[in-house]
This record gives sequence, C-alpha cells and structure tokens, in this order.
Amino acid sequence: MKTIKLASALAFLMALFFPGMAFAQTDPGVRSNTGVNAGQPYASVSANANDLAFYQAGFAQFTEHQTVTGDNPGLGPRFNLDSCGACHSQPAPGGTSPAVGVFPHVGPNPQSQVIANGVVIGSTNTIPFFVQPNGPVREARFPFFFDRFGNPNPNAPNGGVEDLFTVSGRADAVSCNLQQPSFNAAGATRNMIFRIPTPVFGAGLIENIDDSTLLANQAAQAVFNRVGISGTFNHNGNDGTISRFGWKAQNKSLMIFAGEAYNVEMGISNELFTQDRPLPGEDQLGSGLPANCLNLAGVGYPEDITHSGGTSASTVTSDTALFSVFMKFLDQPTPSTTSPGGATSIANGRRLFSAVGCAICHTPSLTTQASNLTSDLSKATANLFSDIEIHHMGVGLADNVSQGGAGGDQFRTAPLWGLGQRIFFLHDGRTTDLLAAIEAHQSSGSEATAVEEFFDLLSPSQKQDLLNFLRSL
Amino acid sequence: MNMHRRFSRSLVLLGFSISLLARAQGPPQSGGDFSSNPHPSVLPSNVILVKGAWSSASDSVTPLPEGGRVANNAYSNQYFGLTYSLSQDWTEKYSGPPPSDSGYYVLAQIRSADTFKGTSRGSILIAAQDLFFTLTPAGNALELINYDKESLNRDYKVEQPPTLVTIANHSFVRFDYGSPVAELHWHVLATQIRCHMVQFVFTSRDTKLVESLVEEMGKMTLPAEAGPISGRGGGEVPVCIKDYARDENVLERVDPIFAERRFNPVPVRIIIDKQGKVKHIHFLSAFPDQAKAIADALSQWRFRRCLRDGEPVEVETGIMFGRAPRPATLRSTNAATE
Repeated sequence: MKTIKLASALAFLMALFFPGMAFAQTDPGVRSNTGVNAGQPYASVSANANDLAFYQAGFAQFTEHQTVTGDNPGLGPRFNLDSCGACHSQPAPGGTSPAVGVFPHVGPNPQSQVIANGVVIGSTNTIPFFVQPNGPVREARFPFFFDRFGNPNPNAPNGGVEDLFTVSGRADAVSCNLQQPSFNAAGATRNMIFRIPTPVFGAGLIENIDDSTLLANQAAQAVFNRVGISGTFNHNGNDGTISRFGWKAQNKSLMIFAGEAYNVEMGISNELFTQDRPLPGEDQLGSGLPANCLNLAGVGYPEDITHSGGTSASTVTSDTALFSVFMKFLDQPTPSTTSPGGATSIANGRRLFSAVGCAICHTPSLTTQASNLTSDLSKATANLFSDIEIHHMGVGLADNVSQGGAGGDQFRTAPLWGLGQRIFFLHDGRTTDLLAAIEAHQSSGSEATAVEEFFDLLSPSQKQDLLNFLRSL
Repeated sequence: MNMHRRFSRSLVLLGFSISLLARAQGPPQSGGDFSSNPHPSVLPSNVILVKGAWSSASDSVTPLPEGGRVANNAYSNQYFGLTYSLSQDWTEKYSGPPPSDSGYYVLAQIRSADTFKGTSRGSILIAAQDLFFTLTPAGNALELINYDKESLNRDYKVEQPPTLVTIANHSFVRFDYGSPVAELHWHVLATQIRCHMVQFVFTSRDTKLVESLVEEMGKMTLPAEAGPISGRGGGEVPVCIKDYARDENVLERVDPIFAERRFNPVPVRIIIDKQGKVKHIHFLSAFPDQAKAIADALSQWRFRRCLRDGEPVEVETGIMFGRAPRPATLRSTNAATE
C-alpha cells in the first residue's frame, strides 16, 4: 500500500514539474513482441511445389555469399557487400539494414565486418568513416565530380554509386590494384550522400499494379484538397511507362532492379548489365577498369548467366532471375492489430494518419492486376502505403542526385508496410526515431510541409496513436 | 618582323595558358588523393543544386503565379494582384515546392510564430490550381470546391457546405469541414483569378481562431475580376481561355524538336499578344532542354487574334507538351479510401 502511495505521489510530482515529459509522444521502437512480421512466400506459392522450389532457389541465391572465384564467382572488382541478403536482412531476408541490439538481433552492420570476415583485406581497404557497427548499411554517391584539386564541381553532376570496397589484396584478385574512392574528401566537401537498402517484401505486388491504377489514384488525390501535395511519376526511359522501384522509382521491374543491384552493389555482371562496372569517374576519364581487374572470375562475361546445362527450372535460371523470383514471391508484411499501444490506439492512429493528410501520398492500398505468376499476386490488395509517385521533399531531404525524371529533391513515396520492424528511416538512414523521420518531411520546397504542420497540431496522445499505428505495420 | 615575332610569341603563350587552364579543370574524377588541397571548396547545405523538371519563364519581368512573397507582415502576389495582411504572430517558415505538372501552386505556408500567445496554434495555406491543367473536370473555382466536398471521405465531417460569401467586397466560395478524430477544422475560402482557383486554407483545433483568420481576410486587396466563377482575366491583364491553342486558333504551328526522349508532362502557360504572337512563356515543369526546344518552337507560332467587343486582346492559355494531355478524371474506385 505504501508503495502504491509513493508511486502515485511520484507520478503527481512528475506531472506537475515535467508536464511535457509526462505526455510527450515517443517512437515505440521496433516491434518485438509479435514475432517477425515478414519474410514468407505467398500461400499460393507454398501450395505449388514448382513455385515453392523456385522461391527457395531464389532465397538460397539471395542469401548466398559471392566470391571472386570459385563456386559463386564474379564478386568485384568493386562492391558494397558480397550478398543481397546481408544488406536486406532486417527483420528477415528481403528487408533492410540490421542492427545487433535490435529485434530480431540479425547482427551488426555487415559492411562494418568485411575486414573481420575476410571479405576485404585490411591492408588495401579501410572501413569508411560513415560505416558503423550500429549504423545502417550504406551506399555512397558523390552528387558531383571533383576537379583535379579535389573541389566538387557543381557543373559536373555525378550521382553514381561509389562502391565502398575493392577486391585488391585478396589472393583471388591477383594483381588487380584499385583505390577506394576519396570518401574523406567527399565528406569534407559535403559531396557525398547515402542510400540504405529498400525492403522488398511485397515487391511483386508493387510490380503488378497497372499504370492505369496509379494514374487513377493520382487523379483521385488531385480532386480532394491536396494541402500542398502534387506528385508526378518517374518513367522508364525505354517505353515511357511508370517506373517504380528504388528510392527515386528509377527502376521499372524487379528483374532490372536485381540486375542493376547485382552489378552495382556486388560487381557481378549479368545478362541485364553485362560488364564489370567502373566508378563513374573511371568511366568519365575514358579509361574504364584496368585490364588486370577484368575477368577476375575467369569465366568470361557476363559472369551470371542462364545455364543451358541445367536440369530444372531453378538450375537453368540465372542468379539475377532467381533474385527476381524471390522478390516477386515474397509476401507483404503482416501488421499487428494490437501492438504497440493496443487495438484502440492503432485504429485511432490509422484514422489520424488519413485525417491529417499522410494518406494522400502514402496511399494505404492499391489493387493489382491479374497475374500470370501466382494467384496471390492476382487482383490482390497491396497494403503498401505509397502512391509510387515522386514528390518534392525540399532542401532538408534533397540529395542532389538525379535519376531518370526525378530531380535532386524528388523521392518516391516510401512504402510503409513493414515499418514496425525497420530500424533506420529515410533514404539515407539518418535517424532511428520515427518522430524525427516525420518531422524531416518539413522543409522549404517540400510538398509535405503543410501535412507535417497538421501533424504538429495534434495533441501528444493523438501523435502517440499515430506513431503506434505506424509501428504496427 | 619584330611585330610578327611578338605576335607569334603571344600566340604560344596564350596556347600554353589555355592548356594549363584545361589541365587545372581536368577531367572529372570520382576521387583521388586530394591531400595537396588543404582548403577545398565545400558545397552549400540545404540547397537544391540538381533540379529535375522545374519551373522557368521566358523573361524575368512578367509576373508569375508562384512569384508571391511574404514580407512586412503581408503576402503579396503581383500576378494575382492580391495582398493579404498577416498579424505579427504569423510567419512563413518554409517556402513551397515548385509548381506541379497539373497546375497546382503552393503560394505560401504560414504558421503561428513562436511569439504566438493563443492557446491553439494554426496554419494558413495559400494555394492555387489553374484551370488549364487540372486533373479535375471542373470549369471554375466553385466546381473545384464542390468536387472537394464530394470527395470528402468518411473520416471528415462537413461543417459548412460550399457557400458563396463576400470577402473584401469580392465573392468567394467557403467550405468548412473537420475531422472528429483529429479534432482539426479546415476552413477553405476560394475565388478565381485569371483562370486559377486561389485558395486560402485555415487549419486549427480552435474554430474561434480559424474564424478570426477568416475575418481578417476582409483586409485583403483583390483584382476586380475575382469571383468563384468570374475570374477570367481581362482589363489590365490578359483574358484567360482554356484550350485557346486548339487547331482553329493556331494559324502557324511548329513542333518542338526534343534532343532527348523524355516522358514527363510539360505544362506551358503562354500569353499571346494582340497580334497573335507568343509574348511570354511560363514552364510550370520542364527540363532545361525541353524548355529551350519549346521556346524555340513557340516563337514561330501564330494565333488567330482574339477579339473582345471588336478589339484585339491579349490571351493567356495553357498548352501541354511532352506526354499526351490526360483527360480530367473522376475519383478512382480502385484506390482505397481511408
């Protein structure tokens, strides 16, 4: 009884002297009490032995570690990591950046472990300063080329990926000797931006939304009081249709997405991107990669191919196509109806999410078209919380990288499904605090400023409901 | 001879200097050892240096819809001919995005300043939607607001249906709605100027605050044409006519030649002079190479003169380049409604 009285008195004093603290909303953090909410194939895939075998082969390739030579050849000569699944791992393969101390404890940032794990040699590579064990997996880009003195030149846009590591020094790299890009100089001159891996759960649904549905949704949002928001689409440069994958919706399909990532992130040439990739500067200099860094796998190009000698669908299929199959067949995350905060809070937060205007861009769901792949992708409800449009996000988030039709401050509305178990937020993983991520939507030039202002007008308990809803996804 | 030798020497020196300069600029690099440059130039922060499709104009003199500013406790916009006074407790912290490719403009985003003493804060959004490129099948501001009302989903409650009111001696359409769950109220007041719906959106938890903001609109100055249906230019400004660039009015047409194949819509607002020539071009959203190609083409267009009461008048209209114009559509049944 004494304890209860003491607690009550303490609570009263807290409320009296720290009223803001007593009622302030906070990010509930990564949801850990409902199990891992993603990473399974569709039921219709599991029910079909052939499809399931295909999915499992894709999963195996997705999580496999590549080497320069040997059974899984082709890594490098430049790369960001040696496995899709190492970067896309939180909370399950297909996800995004992991962290060691956060549910489900996948492990430290794998890029921080490459020397310890023997993926790169410490005498020829250093871990860049922006890669931390408890930080996000990062891809680095230099928005502009440097002149010969090391000054970024705003008249020479770059924006391409600057791979973090080289194979130099590895026994299987033979005499290939490459330098890492000048990350310190890029950091000192603010000529560097980052991207973190986008989760690919439910990506097959996004791929299967017809352009007409996206256009109709855009027109529907234009009817309602749009409170500052008016997005557009990025388009595939070949056929003009709406592209949809990547932070700027620059990739048309999962196959392209997989082929580009295999080439850019792991340095493995494939049937879509058929050469080993030099850094943007190496290409612009007209020299490309040095001859002694080419064909390190010794198998010729492309390094990843369709295997005419295979004996089944999965052994015939290239790694790139298997990655694509894995992503297509990976089900959307399952939200919780009760955690965090309870069912009432989540339901309330969902309505608030719509009421203040978040749902204008973060469209809660869209319907897919008929699928020739598996029935669960067909006429399905994709609870993606995205309109797949690119929006101006203002000076606060601008990265000054142009991709396709997207300019330096335009980003695809990030799908929010699975957000409850993500650790790092925004394109560069700058924060782990969901509230800070919401606030970052507001800056000069951002379409979301007015909506963020409406969010600010909510009471602390309403904001808490909205945060709980987002962490329930 | 001496003269010739001196000239030759000068040429050699000039060539040497140019080659040095070229080497100094050098080829573009991703990186390298820059330790010999202890004081490199640093890129500015919070600046958009790489713009995609963006707004621009053929001249810097003709006022643009997005050209308004908040200064000295007032929002003023020369294009729309309006001035809207703010009390000292209201401020613009962040400017809006560039115009959209569907003709939507965020003109100003105003909020309670830190000095605001009221119990509830609020926000004021001043926006415009042109009738040239709107995705909504509406012919005037009144119809646009009616569509807003019709598209309200179940989470909102209509507090006052669209109603004609008089503000600052001009007719506006007023529409109030609220969200019971968010306990927020939106009061929307709109009028039409130069074929644009100009919209004031007041938002707060406190209806008294919102109402006081509506009352303060009475101090606003507006052009004579302003009205939810009537605002179609004329007088001191061009007459605005949607789709004036249809075939029967275009006497000479030259298609732009684009160097690069792109797929973005390029909405272009033009002013045609009394002789039928294009005198001003405003690109709402275009890449620089697209703007250049379109400007080169439009300079060769000739329009049928527009007559009002037998006299030629200037005309303002919109033309969509790039993607084929999309027909205005109604609300999708395929998209979820939260």
